[in-house]
Amino acid sequence: MPTTNEQIRTTAKKLLEEKTVDCVIGYKKGTVPMREQPFFAYTPEQADELIWSGFCTNNLANFLIGRKDKVAVIAQGCVSRNIVGLIQEKQIRRDQVYIIGLHSPGMLDHWKIQARFPNKRIDQVVEEDDQILVKGPGLEEQVPRKDVRRDNCLTCVQRNPVIYDQLIGEPGQETGGGNIDKVAAPWEQLSSDERWQKFEQSFKDCIRCYACRDACPLCYCNECFVDESHPQWCGKTQEEADVFTFHILRAFHCAGRCTDCGACESACPVGIKMRRLTSKIEKDIRDMYGYQAGMDMEATPPLSVYQPNDPEDFMLK
Amino acid sequence: MSDKILSKTEIGSFLDKIKADYQIHAPVQKDLELVWAPIDQAEELVWEFSNTDLSPKSYFFPQTESLMHFKNNSQDPEGLIMKEESPLEKPRALLNIRPCDAKAFQVLDKVFCRDEKSLDVYWKDKRDKTLLIGLACNNPCPTCFCTSMNCGPHHEEGLDILLTDLGDRLLVHSVTDKGQALTANLSKAGQEDINEASRNKEQAEASITSQVKMDNINSRNVLELYEHPVWDQVHESCINCGTCTYFCPTCHCFDIQDETQGDFGRRVRNWDTCMSWLFTHHTSGHNPRGTKKDRVRQRFMHKFKYMPIKLEGAVGCVGCGRCTRKCPVNIDVREVVSSMNS
Amino acid sequence: MKNLLEYIGLEPGRLHFSWISSAEAGRFQAKATEVVEAVRAQGPAKRLIKDIRPDWLKADAA
Repeated sequence: MPTTNEQIRTTAKKLLEEKTVDCVIGYKKGTVPMREQPFFAYTPEQADELIWSGFCTNNLANFLIGRKDKVAVIAQGCVSRNIVGLIQEKQIRRDQVYIIGLHSPGMLDHWKIQARFPNKRIDQVVEEDDQILVKGPGLEEQVPRKDVRRDNCLTCVQRNPVIYDQLIGEPGQETGGGNIDKVAAPWEQLSSDERWQKFEQSFKDCIRCYACRDACPLCYCNECFVDESHPQWCGKTQEEADVFTFHILRAFHCAGRCTDCGACESACPVGIKMRRLTSKIEKDIRDMYGYQAGMDMEATPPLSVYQPNDPEDFMLK
Repeated sequence: MSDKILSKTEIGSFLDKIKADYQIHAPVQKDLELVWAPIDQAEELVWEFSNTDLSPKSYFFPQTESLMHFKNNSQDPEGLIMKEESPLEKPRALLNIRPCDAKAFQVLDKVFCRDEKSLDVYWKDKRDKTLLIGLACNNPCPTCFCTSMNCGPHHEEGLDILLTDLGDRLLVHSVTDKGQALTANLSKAGQEDINEASRNKEQAEASITSQVKMDNINSRNVLELYEHPVWDQVHESCINCGTCTYFCPTCHCFDIQDETQGDFGRRVRNWDTCMSWLFTHHTSGHNPRGTKKDRVRQRFMHKFKYMPIKLEGAVGCVGCGRCTRKCPVNIDVREVVSSMNS
Repeated sequence: MKNLLEYIGLEPGRLHFSWISSAEAGRFQAKATEVVEAVRAQGPAKRLIKDIRPDWLKADAA
């Protein structure tokens, strides 16, 4: 029974040899522990380096934007939903993308793994079914996989790809096990003062590197609002208001489009949990419009079209 | 200047001596991360660590810094006249800084203080008022390659004092007169201590397995490197965020803006990144580094070719490995530079 | 937007939305007064405010 890696490589090689696609976008082994490298295979020899693991934490749909050639992309549930979204928004054409779908095992969160071994250097993490083995100088310990999965993967509702040209492996369990409505919008029960405190605490470490924005497949504007200088909408300093403005507005621009892929949190170098904002927005979208992004290619996203019965209870009468 | 020895039980009194003239800052454990913070007691110090995530360059080059202020009122006799901000009040000591970070500031001195007549006064003021007490690396991490970048785990350049951890005691080696003055009263180190420190140094240097050669980069001309095929491949996975530039101890680009609020105005300097499209966007609308490939190429060419040319051989990298550890798409500077060299 | 801003801790009562046509002059005036009074009742805004004045200037003004 060939492994997932072998299946991916065979598929990719065939696609490249038969010139069905010009490039296969996947991952190759990372040079640092707990992170794999997005990789572009243009030849069958390069395709031999493709791998798939629990540390493939980026969103490969991000790399589809602006491409003029025909590409294949390895896509699990959330990534395939983002591809649907990009097709809806006319950023790529369906015929340009050959989707190699596969079931997501749930990605791992390197912050959670490191938190179990504070002060210890981790040199390697080996995935073994439902356990992971963490190794470093003076360290070799097994940890249950379910305890260190990425937050959004715990509450995932779509682990199988919603669209694909070819499926690798078997479809698996659809959900991650958690209940998104229980954990989304964690501050809803708090008072206004407590909410502000939590918000400040969550975002105070931000260094405005924009890794979250750049890792996100939804953020493809030629000129992002933070880069606009005529006029400058968002200050560039580290003053609280400037940092918060960026995060609030970016979250809002993803409203109705975010698939909760978690690439933003995985990309953040200081561990900011910006999903605390986007989960609230996506919950409201589900409650107010009954809509989930990227599930149906023919659907129109609620914030890009006006319906007479759109909820208006936030308006003054 | 002979080497001294300091038992870890006596660190408190050593700190007291420093505290008389300097406010002490050191890496401390805060939740999951190691951050730079002011310290008061020896108990707060950490002795076993690789390095902090964010480099201490903010001590000399803060992420947001007000350079001047003015009264935003043209009717006022003092209006629209720029006034200097006050210089740093109290001198500081950065304790347990790693040799790579200290070397990085030496490189940046060449950038910020290039010309006697027009040096960066904000940088210089803070540099002159800061004492650097380094802690040698006995266990370099796998992503370090300082030995390939004119630096090393026990490198002294840029430090006032170098401490080497010998378990229950520290070997104290003064590099500058300032350091010498502070350590004058410590007991002299014995030959065995000095030998042990030497062995630590050799072991540490040998344990750095990443070797990054730059001989071809140095000998080739700029255009050859500029047209190198490696750029087509490296830029593809780069997402052009600013993570590498903000964590790097030698990256130094910034943006200056004026901000006003009613009657008050200030000129503020913020970190900027060459990874940003806006960085080179001209008012005319033209952008000389409009594509991702241009920007990715620029960063590596600047650090590894343009800077050595302009700064008498000083490389814009100290091999600390932060960019590689933090990059969201795992672009490895060692791989890129090795490809540039091939 | 209102939901999001109140979720992060902006006091309810600071942000208001209303559909008003330029032809509804009377209603516009009434709503504007209503909103101004509601926001004023919240007191000076402290959250999401950028104040670039240095401490020595704020102390003088206090």
